[in-house]
Amino acid sequence: MAFSSFKVPRNFRLLEELEEGQKGEGDGTVSWGLEDDEDMTLTRWTGMIIGPARVSRTNYENRIYSLKVECGSRYPEAAPTVRFVTKINMNGINNSNGTVDSRSIPILAKWQNSYSIKIVLQELRRLMMSKENMKLPQPPEGQTYST
Amino acid sequence: MADQGAADPGNNNNNKPEASEGTIIKVTVKTPKDKEEIAIAEDASVTQFKEEISRRFKAKQDQLVLIFAGKILKDGDSLSQHGIKDGLTVHLVIKTAQKAGDGGSTSASSSTSTQAGNTSASSPDTNPSSTAGSTGTTAPPTQTPNILTGFGDLAGLAGLGMGSANFMELQQQMQRQLMSNPEMLSQIMENPLVQNMMSNPDLMRQMIMANPQMQQLMERNPEISHMLNNPELMRQTMELARNPAMMQEMMRNQDRALSNLESIPGGYNALRRMYTDIQEPIVTCNPFSALGGTSESGAQPSRTENRDGGTTPSVPGMQSLLQQISENPQLMQNMLSAPYMRSMMQSLAQNPELASQVLMNNPLFAGNPQLQEQFRSQLPIFLQQMQNPEALSVMTNPRAMQALMQIQQGLQTLQTEAPGLMPSLMTGGVPGIPTGGIPGIPTGVVPGIPTGGGMPTENPASSPSSAGTNTAQQQLMQQMLQMFAGGGGGGGSTQTPEVRFQSQLDQLSAMGFINREANLQALIATGGDINAAIERLLGSQPS
Repeated sequence: MAFSSFKVPRNFRLLEELEEGQKGEGDGTVSWGLEDDEDMTLTRWTGMIIGPARVSRTNYENRIYSLKVECGSRYPEAAPTVRFVTKINMNGINNSNGTVDSRSIPILAKWQNSYSIKIVLQELRRLMMSKENMKLPQPPEGQTYST
Repeated sequence: MADQGAADPGNNNNNKPEASEGTIIKVTVKTPKDKEEIAIAEDASVTQFKEEISRRFKAKQDQLVLIFAGKILKDGDSLSQHGIKDGLTVHLVIKTAQKAGDGGSTSASSSTSTQAGNTSASSPDTNPSSTAGSTGTTAPPTQTPNILTGFGDLAGLAGLGMGSANFMELQQQMQRQLMSNPEMLSQIMENPLVQNMMSNPDLMRQMIMANPQMQQLMERNPEISHMLNNPELMRQTMELARNPAMMQEMMRNQDRALSNLESIPGGYNALRRMYTDIQEPIVTCNPFSALGGTSESGAQPSRTENRDGGTTPSVPGMQSLLQQISENPQLMQNMLSAPYMRSMMQSLAQNPELASQVLMNNPLFAGNPQLQEQFRSQLPIFLQQMQNPEALSVMTNPRAMQALMQIQQGLQTLQTEAPGLMPSLMTGGVPGIPTGGIPGIPTGVVPGIPTGGGMPTENPASSPSSAGTNTAQQQLMQQMLQMFAGGGGGGGSTQTPEVRFQSQLDQLSAMGFINREANLQALIATGGDINAAIERLLGSQPS
């Protein structure tokens, strides 16, 4: 993953991320892949976050959260838009449709082109464990936003 | 990850159903805490993969949730479908308390109530094969799977030709067919008759209520009657029944709901109670509902998610009822003696409204409002005939049915050969007319049967030259023939007589013969000859 100062073309980047997603790089708590394998534009991705388990009894324990990530044409210069599919109660996530507010999530707000989908997912997971979010009551498992 | 780890014993496929030709790939399975390398056949299914995983991780298959590339792997998928190849990593989550539900699926919370609605969908049974009014018999209220039992009864008629003389068995088989073959169900559903029935909640309710067993059930369980009376629910159910995919979804949701119930302390008992209270009486009412009872087995811990598919081989479509009947005379007998058939007939007789609705929905009549009107006026007579035991006995007489069928065939040929001949045949009580009832059967109008039945009684009664003997009868016959001519065959006159004789009709009415229907009859009888028609009209009218 050599992201040097020159700008890597978007598709190269996304292909790399695709490969990583399939290889399961990372700590095994997040997973991502193309929503549609035939999507040549590599725009729509699905992501999964495995809720932090047993870390001081979080409410997210053992839950699996599904997300949709959309990498626009200016990715990676511009941050992707992220949306939770599985219902979640968390700061910065719109309660009615699951969209992640880019301004409240630090890495989305201060996006850098070296960030990736993996990092976004991991960051969201980390936020689930934050003090403020941990106490929030979560909706029953398995519910999704009805968009 | 390069390390094989426990991969060697991992290759111990004790009794793993590995495809012999598939290459073995090594997939890493990662949990938040753990990581294992699992060897599995390239073309294995997710289920097989999970079996192996459950062994390795010492967890139940139900508890496993596999994620690859951001997607949850469903049991029915295959590894190759998701692009899982050698060396790739799959994430695993082992659910602890809850069952492994889809992360993204809708909650099953409200499914129960809709489930209750589901079953009433079984009732609307007008079916391409004449409706056996089995409506009520099978609507097991609370639990889903029995949706199809209703269809099972009916469509049972539509004949499986499985060589089973027993009507009941046919039903069972049909039901199984339906369960295993969703296309059949959608075929049934697509029949406009069925759809029309289903879109009329009142109709359905009446049918359901007409069944004594159902009534009993209703007494015992007031919730059922409540459910029946809730039009919203009914409509929902009808929608559901219309859409097999939706139905399956509902069932799965229900499964999940049930399974969730199980996990609640005391929930298991509640389930069990529910089962015994509700399912059993239904099962006793209707032995076939047991067939559908699979997903109901929420009472039992182990259950399949989907409805139990039929074990019978699928029959390509439904054969014509008529064929069935002629091949299997017993069938007719059984069909008519079936209790719900009787009750259906009774309710039809008592409620002309109902009957007319059913009639009107018949595609034969759909495009022909005049015919509809005529029929409507004849309705009371029809209904009487239905009750006529003689009519019934004719229906049950196989030879008579065969004769009728022959006649029908003859008529059809006649129609194609000599379209103009038809109207003149109407003069007498042409024996062909009863067959007008017969096409009604395959096209699935209940009154079709009684009409067919009604006809033969008139036939012996009226001699060939019965012109004008009994106006009502004649009209009846003529209408049947018209219907037949209009809807059946396809060869001859597709125009209704009314259209053809439009000018004559106008003339007649200008002359002062205001009874349009009588005019029409006369015109038809005389083949469009105004003078002769006038003679008839004057002759048959008193005064």
